[in-house]
Amino acid sequence: MTQRNRLSHTQSASQSRRQPSTSAAQEEDDDTIFTQPSSTQVQKGLEKLTAAEVERKVAEVVQYFLVKDQKKVPVRRAELVKNVVKEYRNVYPEIIKRTARTLDQVFGLKLVEIDSKNHMYILVNNLEPADGASPINSPTSPKMGLLFVILSVVFMKGGVVRENLIWNTLKKLRVDPGEKHEEFGDVKRLVTDEFVRQRYLEYARIPHTEPIEHEFRWGQRADAEVSKAKILEFLGQLFEQEPQSWSQQYKEAHSSQASSSSQR
Amino acid sequence: MLGAHVEVHPKKTHYKMKRARSGGDEDAPRQNGSAGRRTEDQHPGDAEGEGSDFGPADLQNNENDPSLRREIRSKYRELISSVQQNREDMLSPSNNKLTEVLEEANQLFKDVRQAREAALDAQLLVMATDLGKEKAGQLFSEGTAFDPAAFTEHLLSFMGINRLEEGDEEQQNGSTFGGYLPQDAWHRLSRRAECCFRTAPSFHYMMGSFHAEPPPPKQRIERQRKALTTEAKRTVPTQLKKMETSHQEATEKEVERILGCLKRYYEDDPASPISYFEFVIDPKSFARTVENIFHTSFLIRDDLARLYLNDEKLPCIAHVEEGEVEAEGSGRRKQCIMSLCEETWKEIIDAFDIQESMIPPPEVDDE
Repeated sequence: MTQRNRLSHTQSASQSRRQPSTSAAQEEDDDTIFTQPSSTQVQKGLEKLTAAEVERKVAEVVQYFLVKDQKKVPVRRAELVKNVVKEYRNVYPEIIKRTARTLDQVFGLKLVEIDSKNHMYILVNNLEPADGASPINSPTSPKMGLLFVILSVVFMKGGVVRENLIWNTLKKLRVDPGEKHEEFGDVKRLVTDEFVRQRYLEYARIPHTEPIEHEFRWGQRADAEVSKAKILEFLGQLFEQEPQSWSQQYKEAHSSQASSSSQR
Repeated sequence: MLGAHVEVHPKKTHYKMKRARSGGDEDAPRQNGSAGRRTEDQHPGDAEGEGSDFGPADLQNNENDPSLRREIRSKYRELISSVQQNREDMLSPSNNKLTEVLEEANQLFKDVRQAREAALDAQLLVMATDLGKEKAGQLFSEGTAFDPAAFTEHLLSFMGINRLEEGDEEQQNGSTFGGYLPQDAWHRLSRRAECCFRTAPSFHYMMGSFHAEPPPPKQRIERQRKALTTEAKRTVPTQLKKMETSHQEATEKEVERILGCLKRYYEDDPASPISYFEFVIDPKSFARTVENIFHTSFLIRDDLARLYLNDEKLPCIAHVEEGEVEAEGSGRRKQCIMSLCEETWKEIIDAFDIQESMIPPPEVDDE
């Protein structure tokens, strides 16, 4: 998404309900076409459908989520309705409710609406991660390490950091945003585009800077997916000090963790 | 917050009015809790008239030496770019570089008389206050401050860096490094960091998935299709013609061949009749048998062979010599339809004890 788009988002988000999002204008239009049906409409709609029909549609939606999740880009309600739900849109709330249930009960995944304005969904692992490294020697993407570094710095620096700090930090780790990295390819693209589209990071222009500067924040997916307490724990190991010694961050990690775990 | 001011302020007390403004700027967050850049909004009203940046006093001032002004501007620009480049350094809690920059700017400002230079000064001030705010932010927590530089060092150790020249590395300020990372450095970090993420494991197809490519532009498809159809039109008729002729030829050839066989048997022993079944049946192939029957029927139609029942009421086949037809008379024509299924074919093979076909299978020609 272009920065211009993001900028217009921040500027106009307060003044209009129909917010321009980070995504293309065309998708926006789709979204406006679809209006959430009322509960009585859903009831009526369900009466016209057989249980098997609804189940089949739910299965399709579940599969759509699983396939879409491979790229970790959030699923927008508009695209979901357009591509899968289609003529079942009048019973959409029921479909999404059952989809969430199936994902939870069958796959151990939690369907999270990360953006209730733009109606975007992601999948989060609902199972407690095993302590230490995962027992299955699953091939982890090195990108996760990079993401960890960025998220850690942003978190430890109070939630917002200028891009320069990130680039400098990465440079010290032998990752130069200006050069092609053998593991990450175009680092700048990966960080400011892919991670942003996946909603791990927010990358926004800082107003009134000359030359133009940007700052990083945690994205909505990071909020839903990443445990600040665990990050602190890891940092404690690295620095060989107690996680509590970063008292500010420790407080934040454990208050936000409490609230998010109560949701789970 | 307080810590920041203790740190930044003492050297400022002797600043001229302009720096007092800068102090005011940094005071602002403390007063209203918002961290804005307020420099531009603030009225320098409480300042003594002496150095008011944009005041009319400047314009009236006679000191209008262009070379001096140029020099001031270039010094300001130098200062600004050095601040931009050494931003991270200046933020480090362990040095006073920010204060040094401010003092330098203060010296420069003594000679500033016009708006153009003052604007540069203001620009620098915006940057400096911004840095000041950030620097203050480092001290705001009662706990330990987080040092990204130390973080990277720890990370490098964790990733298993191999340091070759320990001593030199410390001297380098960030663009060149000593040591190199092992191949799996980032994998190692990922594996450890994984537990911080509740990432849903994404599923993959066991056999992989095809790489969905965007559909090629429509025009190209159409053109390709057109080309294909015209080519098909061109080739199909010729192919068909060829098949027809070759088919006919094949049938004629077969009929000739079978006639040759029949003739040979007849000439070998004209006296003994040839059993039709033994002649026609190929014990190894039902299909060949049917073909033989089909081809033999042509011989009978063309009066090149005749079928008759012998004393035991079994069909026999005989070659018809030229001219014999006339003698027989063509008036009495008979037709018969024979049915043969695989069952009867097998029965006949058993009954007649047929070991080999009398008509050898045609050589496989390379048609």
